[in-house]
Amino acid sequence: MNALIEMRQVTKAYRGVPAVTKVDFVLREGEIHALLGENGAGKSTLTKMMCGVTLPTSGEMFLSGAPFRFETPAEALENGIAMVFQETSLVPSMTVAQNLYLGDERLFNRIRGLNIAAQTFLQSLNFNVNPTALVSALGAAHKQMVEIARAVRKKVRVIIFDEPTAALTPEEKHHFFALVRRLKQSGVSIIFISHALEEALAIADRITVLRDGEIVASDDAGAFDRDRIIRAMVGRSLSGSLYRREAGQAARPVGEKVLSVQNVSMGSIVRNTSFSIYSGQVTGMFGLIGSGRTEAAKIIAGVAKRNFFNGGEVRLHDRSVRYRVPRQAVADGIVYVTEDRKLEGFFETMTIPENLYMGALAAGTAGGMLVDMAEMRAIAAEWTRTLNVRAINPNARVIELSGGNQQKVVIAKSLVQKPKIIIFDEPTRGVDVGAIAEIHQFINGLADQGLAVVVISSYLPEIMNLSDRILVCRSGRVVEEFGPDEATEEKIMYAAVH
Amino acid sequence: MLRGLNQERIVFTIAVVLFVLFSVLLPGFLSAGNLLSLIQNVSILGILGVAMAIAIIGRGIDLSILSTMPVSAAWLLTLVNGGMPIGLAFVCALGFVIAVGIINGTLIAYVEIPAIFATLAMGIVVYGFGKAFMTPIDAVYTGRGESWFYAIGSGRVLGIPSPVIVFALVAAAAFLFLRTLKPGRFIYGMGDNPLAARVTGIPVRPMIILQYVIISIIALIAGIVMATALAGINTRLALSTMVYDVILVVVLGGIGLAGGKGGIRNVVVGTLLIGILLNGMTIMNLTYTVQSILKSVILLLAIVADTLLNPRDEQTAQHGDI
Ligand SMILES: Nc1ncnc2c1ncn2[C@@H]1O[C@H](COP(=O)(O)OP(=O)(O)OP(=O)(O)O)[C@@H](O)[C@H]1O
Ligand SMILES: [Mg+2]
Repeated sequence: MNALIEMRQVTKAYRGVPAVTKVDFVLREGEIHALLGENGAGKSTLTKMMCGVTLPTSGEMFLSGAPFRFETPAEALENGIAMVFQETSLVPSMTVAQNLYLGDERLFNRIRGLNIAAQTFLQSLNFNVNPTALVSALGAAHKQMVEIARAVRKKVRVIIFDEPTAALTPEEKHHFFALVRRLKQSGVSIIFISHALEEALAIADRITVLRDGEIVASDDAGAFDRDRIIRAMVGRSLSGSLYRREAGQAARPVGEKVLSVQNVSMGSIVRNTSFSIYSGQVTGMFGLIGSGRTEAAKIIAGVAKRNFFNGGEVRLHDRSVRYRVPRQAVADGIVYVTEDRKLEGFFETMTIPENLYMGALAAGTAGGMLVDMAEMRAIAAEWTRTLNVRAINPNARVIELSGGNQQKVVIAKSLVQKPKIIIFDEPTRGVDVGAIAEIHQFINGLADQGLAVVVISSYLPEIMNLSDRILVCRSGRVVEEFGPDEATEEKIMYAAVH
Repeated sequence: MLRGLNQERIVFTIAVVLFVLFSVLLPGFLSAGNLLSLIQNVSILGILGVAMAIAIIGRGIDLSILSTMPVSAAWLLTLVNGGMPIGLAFVCALGFVIAVGIINGTLIAYVEIPAIFATLAMGIVVYGFGKAFMTPIDAVYTGRGESWFYAIGSGRVLGIPSPVIVFALVAAAAFLFLRTLKPGRFIYGMGDNPLAARVTGIPVRPMIILQYVIISIIALIAGIVMATALAGINTRLALSTMVYDVILVVVLGGIGLAGGKGGIRNVVVGTLLIGILLNGMTIMNLTYTVQSILKSVILLLAIVADTLLNPRDEQTAQHGDI
């Protein structure tokens, strides 16, 4: 097979520090090529150079044998290369249909025609998204589906997907992989970046592993197994029990009932749901898209604006609490860790210490009226060590970190608030295997210390691995509850779907 | 190597170059008298720039300061001229500007009107209200009163004109507020990412009110300085285009309109450049129109240079600000 894109000795440095070093990379015609590596390994950077977002510092790139250097994504698109970014790049104030056809509008668009075209197109991909919905009203998964659809619609030769499945539930993942296979059959070459190694092994023709900006392995997918990939990624093997509860580890005893949600409703998304949360335990919440998990969490933590709050009661211990703003919840020790870090997670122009300190100041766990620089540095040093946050430069702004490291910053910013009840919404979205294990261990540690921990996740193994209790949501309410011993993947999926 | 060149330094360099050019080319520019009047004239612009900077850093804007400033100061003079003790008149004016700030903040934070519209409307309301109920005549002159009060704008300390000292004090206080006080940090957070600020538990809405109250108080200070320096104040100032000069000072200094960026240093640098420019152009006897064109060309140059030297995160830049 011919090389479609070839990179020779390509280096990309930010402020003199290399993010990708002397990489030789080949994308063959019509293949699915998985790009794997730890957080900050340089996967996004490598692909951004192909699609005109950044230019290499040195080295050469060839497209069908001809050298290229794209200055803008538009130029890359004209030459048949499209990319779906790790962070959303949709326009929130426009509808799904308008976003899909953004940039291709004719002078006079007929809205109805646009919506019908979008509807037909989304249906052909099996993506169940309403084309007339505003993007700002969509959850992370639907946004991701619109991003994917937008790239597919362009009819290009190469599509680069940067962690497309991180926000999707199993059902949507299934449709996505079917789509990728169809694209391949129609001759499109695909680069697929993911932290889910099983996905890469299942779908890729070839796999390339990056570590610290260098390629450490590149081979046919058949030549890899999970263990070889991990060894290449981190340079050693990790214990195999990543997603399995340690054999014989019993569920933690049920602690005090700290929070109970009774008959809460919000619009048509949360419908009359009731459940309780106990201290010293991890409560897992599983459900498909639209099952109202995130929204229920946002009501508890005061993030949802109350004018949408249509009744029901939330009780913290014996007190009825209906928070209007997150500040009240944070003051009572309830913290929500968002699923959309760029939108409402971090402060992008600030450094890691400034971000963490902002969390501490808001919760009153550090500083008085005055900002204490020494304290700020101490907090940052402690948490970057605990969660192993990596940046090229200690004064880097958070927008310059890799996706997984941004996620760790958002988690740390919530933990400095010393919560008693903490709700993680997709805590390991975009985080590499090694770090997932670390974060899981960390979450377990929080529950052992007596915190009430809630984990919302679309990834069943994550729910199974972490939870002492599993709540399954469907159409806006908790429909079933499992103890860890009675739960199997089949039972959970069955409850979530039917 | 080019990385160290941000807009602040570029503007500072331009200011220094202009200063040298004018000193060589314009006779009388370098005289002590001219230099003093130069800084004196821009002090009021600088004080208002500090107020505007606090708004813009928090992703807001306050177009009403140009009404609040003359109306509150004119009312103060009217009260004093009517026989009220200065202390009491000051308290009244202070109460008035705090009320304006609270209304601005409430409209923006709780009614959720975009700051630009809320303060535009509020500016008109303040001007109209002032004309109807507070100071029926446009121009109010300083009449009787104690000399220390008039010294606020027209005195000198160690040879330095007092408006300059007031500007320095206001700038220093705002600097400390933004840098070292908790509400100051919160204003940066709200400017950087308002949604994240809310989710993190920052009291966003009370902070917005605090922000606009502080801005109004600074506007009153600017008004007092102006009234005592010029022995009177004209409320028609509210109808002038001076508010654009204030925004120019802030943006020129490098405080991005998107919020969360820059600080008081940028205001000082911006004020310096505009001051040198205005003074030089006045000595050269340029017409008002030519002066406006030059000012706007310089603003455009500074913004273009900043975008070229400091591209924002590429991914966001490609897709626009979202
Ligand atoms: N705009 C930037 N400025 C400075 N450094 C950057 C910038 N973008 C990326 N980096 C750095 O380059 C390195 C590689 O980042 P990259 O985003 O390519 O990682 P990644 O492999 O995609 O990781 P993840 O799995 O976490 O998304 C990181 O150390 C990151 O901090
Ligand atoms: Mg990445």
